[in-house]
Amino acid sequence: MSARPRSFGLAALATSIVLSAAGQLAMKVGMGDLHRIGIGELANADWAAIGPAVSWTMLGVASYGASMIAWLLVLARYPLSYAYPFLGMSYVLVYAAATQWSALAEPSTPLRAFGTLLVVAGVVLVSSTGEDRTPA
Amino acid sequence: MDELLLSSAIVLLAVAQVLQKRGAVRHLAGKPGTGGWRRALVSREIVGAIACLTLGTALWLAVLYRMDVSKAFPMLSAGTILVLVASRVLLGERVSPPRWGGAILVALGVALVAAS
Repeated sequence: MSARPRSFGLAALATSIVLSAAGQLAMKVGMGDLHRIGIGELANADWAAIGPAVSWTMLGVASYGASMIAWLLVLARYPLSYAYPFLGMSYVLVYAAATQWSALAEPSTPLRAFGTLLVVAGVVLVSSTGEDRTPA
Repeated sequence: MDELLLSSAIVLLAVAQVLQKRGAVRHLAGKPGTGGWRRALVSREIVGAIACLTLGTALWLAVLYRMDVSKAFPMLSAGTILVLVASRVLLGERVSPPRWGGAILVALGVALVAAS
């Protein structure tokens, strides 16, 4: 086992979840901007027009990549069945931010909110029960 | 078109998971030392996983271009069901009944979000 304190693993877990949600939101801001500008503008390569959209998208992809690296650090310390249910948190974070943050302001509907909660419950159940064995 | 892009992204990202697991088991498990990592990185499984992840992410950006993230992101969890089925069928793992129950909840949640 690692000599590093337990708090390192928990910090990696929190970092991974937050970066994963932030990555999705930033990618959406970038692609949403691009949608408004028109994807054809990419061909003109006019940075003043496409800069913000491309930057948000790249930031989102980088954040998504960094969350995967943090996730590997988590998996090196905790069993998947302990760590995976926490990923359900990212669905809650993305939903809350996408509907409340003025940059996205997506519509919040009871159906979508309830469906997202079912997904979270399912993810927790999928990963937190039973003892699966991998045959050699 | 939205559905086709989204389901392709989900399948590619799920395939990447299964390939990573196969690569890790075949090239890293029970083989200490750094040589294993080098072999793993150039193995068919890991190269394939990186290719699926790259293409899957590109398709995911195309999905976000067209759909709300509050709608598309929960639907990405359908990949969990694919990974569970693949763990059973392709990797030969035992999957407990509560896990199948969780997969059914995920499927219901995805159906509701899709209808929203």
